[in-house]
Amino acid sequence: MDKHIFEQIPLYLDDELQEGERLAVETHVKGCHDCRAALDRERELIAAIRRARPLYSAPETLRGRVTRLLRQSNPPERFGSYRALIAASAFLVLASAGWWLSAATLFSKDRPSLVNVAVDHHVRYLQGRLPLEVFSDSPEAISAWFAGKLRFNFRLPDYPQGPKPYHVEGARLVGFKDDYAAYVVYRLNGHPISLLVTSNAVAQPSGGEEIPWEGLRFHFQSVAGWKVLTWSDDGLTYALVSNLEERGQASCVVCHQDERVFRGLHSSREPM
Amino acid sequence: MIRFRKAHTGTAESAILENLDALYGFAMSLTRNPTDAEDLVQEACLRAIKGLAHNGIRSNPKVWLFTILRNVWINEWRRRASGPEFIFLEKARAEGGPLHECLSDERERPEDWLERNMASGRLRSALSGLPAAFREVVVLRYFEGFSYREIATILGCPAGTVMSRLNRARAELRSMLDEENTSLILRRKRGSG
Repeated sequence: MDKHIFEQIPLYLDDELQEGERLAVETHVKGCHDCRAALDRERELIAAIRRARPLYSAPETLRGRVTRLLRQSNPPERFGSYRALIAASAFLVLASAGWWLSAATLFSKDRPSLVNVAVDHHVRYLQGRLPLEVFSDSPEAISAWFAGKLRFNFRLPDYPQGPKPYHVEGARLVGFKDDYAAYVVYRLNGHPISLLVTSNAVAQPSGGEEIPWEGLRFHFQSVAGWKVLTWSDDGLTYALVSNLEERGQASCVVCHQDERVFRGLHSSREPM
Repeated sequence: MIRFRKAHTGTAESAILENLDALYGFAMSLTRNPTDAEDLVQEACLRAIKGLAHNGIRSNPKVWLFTILRNVWINEWRRRASGPEFIFLEKARAEGGPLHECLSDERERPEDWLERNMASGRLRSALSGLPAAFREVVVLRYFEGFSYREIATILGCPAGTVMSRLNRARAELRSMLDEENTSLILRRKRGSG
């Protein structure tokens, strides 16, 4: 038994190791009966703990109390007509400045990466600062809305057939580099998931930890606490942002609900 | 730096309301009492709203909210919370938690369902017997899915401390479950003998 590897088993199961360290553990346990047994025991315990998770819903009384608190913290502001005029003028000046700044940023050479833009859009959407342009729970309707608006051919997947654990909320166009990209919002178990799609001629998946699977190379990284997966497929590059557990693999269910496919992707990152 | 500001519509609402169930679950694990848990969450939300006005939210809002709730609990609430009633199982039953899910699974045989839920019940019971410092890392890691670094932020301690507490918590849980299994086997043997 290798003491160092043995001590790393909990970190391996908790997804806290770098790729090289993960590989070292995986390679070692293949040939070490004791470490393999320890790994199985720990994994079984962790799975049992997760199965025992009580699923709480905040009582309606609490939800009401918190909603009232939020309402009290945002009282409607009252302006006199003079103050309103000043405010409106200031807004116009700031909006103009903002537009120039945005345009300068959009067309400047120092452009943000796909990952940062995706996270920024996700946060702005959560803040209510990125209104959607089309609302629909139908992937077909969303795809139809994008038709002719993008320089690349983009169709949202619509599988599996039948009930899905997620639903599309809506979409919009967003600026990325010198072109438009598609921004789509999903919701899975109440959690919003953002998907940013552009041509792979414009952006490539990069950074973070590389996860090869079924001929695709997924890149996982955590940015400011958000889980981000990027990958390229069939001429397009995707960035998926969520706050789902683990490495965000659960967000893959958006496109890979098919059990076989999803298990395959999942197991490639799951501990042995 | 990503920041949430009060001035933007929906800022506080989206951050707080989206995490309300998770906050309540964490508060239940700390207070072990539904009334105290509700009050603790409300107090934490009040602090969050005030903090939002002054500082905004940095990074992940869920981490930020859990940190506030935990600080309120440690600094002000722990000493005035009521008794150590731990109602994980009962609450989960009442609110359609795992037991309800098991009942709705038609593919599972009744004896398997019973066995599985007895195991979950034993685990929850063991978890309730853990010291608070161990219980909270287990809840944050395995129930809420936070990384070691995120848990360290919430608890205000080094990530190494999180790691060692989790190790000890798992060891304690295993030991308690092993004892429980041993006594169960002995009882069965006596019953059949």
